[in-house]
Amino acid sequence: MTESFAPGVRVRDLTVVYRTPAGELPALAGVGLTLAPGTITGIVGESGSGKSTLALSLLNAVQPPGRIKAGSVDIDGLGDVVQLGGDELRRARGRQVGYVFQAAQNSLNPLKTVGKQLLDLGRSHDVADLPALVGEARALLGRMGLDGGRVLDSYQHELSGGMRQRVGIMLALVLNAHLVVLDEPTTALDMITQATILRIVKEVHRERGLTTLIVTHDIGVAAEVTDCLAVMYGGRVVEHGPTTAVLGSPRHPYTRGLIRAIPRLSGDIDEARALPGRPPTLGTIPAEGCVFRERCPLRMAVCDTVDPAPAAYGERTVACHAVGQPVAPAVRKEYV
Amino acid sequence: MIIGTGITKTYRQRGSVLDGRDVLALRGVDFAIAKGGAVTFIGESGCGKTTLGRIVAGLETYDSGEIIIDGTPLSPLRHRQRQAQFRRVQLIHQDPYSALNPTRTIHQTLDAPLALRARRMGRSKAWAQERARELLTLVGIDPGYVLPRYPHQLSGGMRQRVVIARALTVDPEVLVADESVSMIDVSLRLGILALLKDLRERLGVSVLFITHDIATARYIGADGELYVIYRGQVVERGPTETVIAAPVHPYTQSLLSAIPVLRGVEQPGPDLVLPTEALDESHTDTGCLFARRCPFRTDHCESERPSLGYGEDTPQEHACFHPRPRSVIPVEVSA
Repeated sequence: MTESFAPGVRVRDLTVVYRTPAGELPALAGVGLTLAPGTITGIVGESGSGKSTLALSLLNAVQPPGRIKAGSVDIDGLGDVVQLGGDELRRARGRQVGYVFQAAQNSLNPLKTVGKQLLDLGRSHDVADLPALVGEARALLGRMGLDGGRVLDSYQHELSGGMRQRVGIMLALVLNAHLVVLDEPTTALDMITQATILRIVKEVHRERGLTTLIVTHDIGVAAEVTDCLAVMYGGRVVEHGPTTAVLGSPRHPYTRGLIRAIPRLSGDIDEARALPGRPPTLGTIPAEGCVFRERCPLRMAVCDTVDPAPAAYGERTVACHAVGQPVAPAVRKEYV
Repeated sequence: MIIGTGITKTYRQRGSVLDGRDVLALRGVDFAIAKGGAVTFIGESGCGKTTLGRIVAGLETYDSGEIIIDGTPLSPLRHRQRQAQFRRVQLIHQDPYSALNPTRTIHQTLDAPLALRARRMGRSKAWAQERARELLTLVGIDPGYVLPRYPHQLSGGMRQRVVIARALTVDPEVLVADESVSMIDVSLRLGILALLKDLRERLGVSVLFITHDIATARYIGADGELYVIYRGQVVERGPTETVIAAPVHPYTQSLLSAIPVLRGVEQPGPDLVLPTEALDESHTDTGCLFARRCPFRTDHCESERPSLGYGEDTPQEHACFHPRPRSVIPVEVSA
């Protein structure tokens, strides 16, 4: 299979709101993000940053009380999924867009064997040749280092966390979807299993010619597998660019602070610094101005009133008033 | 000082009488937690590290072995006396969302143990009130804000701090932190770790840290000791920095090799070790427990089990017939 199968994705001005007693609050505020065909993109952010909401929007699957209020999600070969509905949408999910849910451990039906769930999936998508589907599933599981026949005959409780995660990936790919979204693919797995899953994701991505989106709170996971990285904060993409560039020379103060807050295995451990303050929740996102200003060492007067728009710096986009301006050493000290 | 010698624990797997299989969770583990020290247990899920932590906290029984707290062996003691000893060890749970009673305000949560303590020590109720405020300030939160609130009104990081404050109400000597930051947001994690480190330095509280995130162990106690546990056996033990920088056991090397590399900032270590297969509980127990997955195994490994001890010239103890230091952790790219 070649890369020509891999679809590109363009998210434009996406606004998703959740209905609360305090009115409609934006979980995503005019998010723009482009996934180039054939790449692995990572979305990192803390809880409440809107990363899972953005991922669900790719399937137009934001659940009430949330709704997509404005914007578009344009997927090659599918059009704008925000405009899709009913059967069209149902068929697109699984066929064109595969989704591996957070805690794949719990997304399997405990009362049915994996094989039965696979057949359900096939029937609901009107697959004519079910034996071929089973064959494909077995091959995929085999590719991921599992005994396909045994796994298909197993109930979820008979499988380990790492095995269930691989079953989730198999179910997302078996209908030949070429856009795959993985939501927290390795949370709750231990280190060695995590490394195995990430290797599989990378290999399967390359072999099948996919466009892959990985949503995670763990920068390490994103660093390991992604080509591009989008950093989210308070319902906005604050920095987006090639992974090595974003991690190697972060420009947004949040990205910088986040990378600094990770204890590492080499170097001076005492250089790790906690980011002051805490991330905003839906109710505490400021109505105007920059969402990060309360925790920002580079805060200026303009940050209180104007929400910085993402601006391009080479391959990178950064949404910050202070980036691009010469930074006074006195201000930078906060990070030293 | 808490010392454990030859701790074993066996779980009987559920099943019929015939196919019920014994799972050896701990196979004769020795440990020592010095006053004010930092000890970390690392290993894959199911290796026995959590069981050991719960045994240290007195929440789990053990089949054989002995625990000695400040020179007092616990096995001859009556239940009550033993409980009193274990009160000096407090467990901080993994999940701050379920560790606090949702129907009680933080004030009620902290006041219950403090009032009991005040009565025992013959102090006034006012002392208990004052102490609650002191403890919350100590863990870095504003008592005025937190005390009247219920857990659901607090963020994860704040809740974890309340859980730590509650553990401190009984003036423990050891805090057992089992994956205590894994459910906290990345930007707040370091704050909790810094708090544990601070408590260790200021109050002389020992910290037993149980985790699979080895870098956090380094943050809490680079001067501490690291225990690498595999299938109920300690396979490598030594100063944290040494074991991380130059591990000699292939299992430790596999664990450290699996840590994601921050590309752009780091590059992979030169000697990465990949286990040859995944953990399978049905692996035989003869020989080295890791032999089946070890890329360096020899016939010797499959017939005899190495015990923990110092090698010829390694600064750490290990249980391996072919120890060789390898550099597996990510290396910082020089700017």
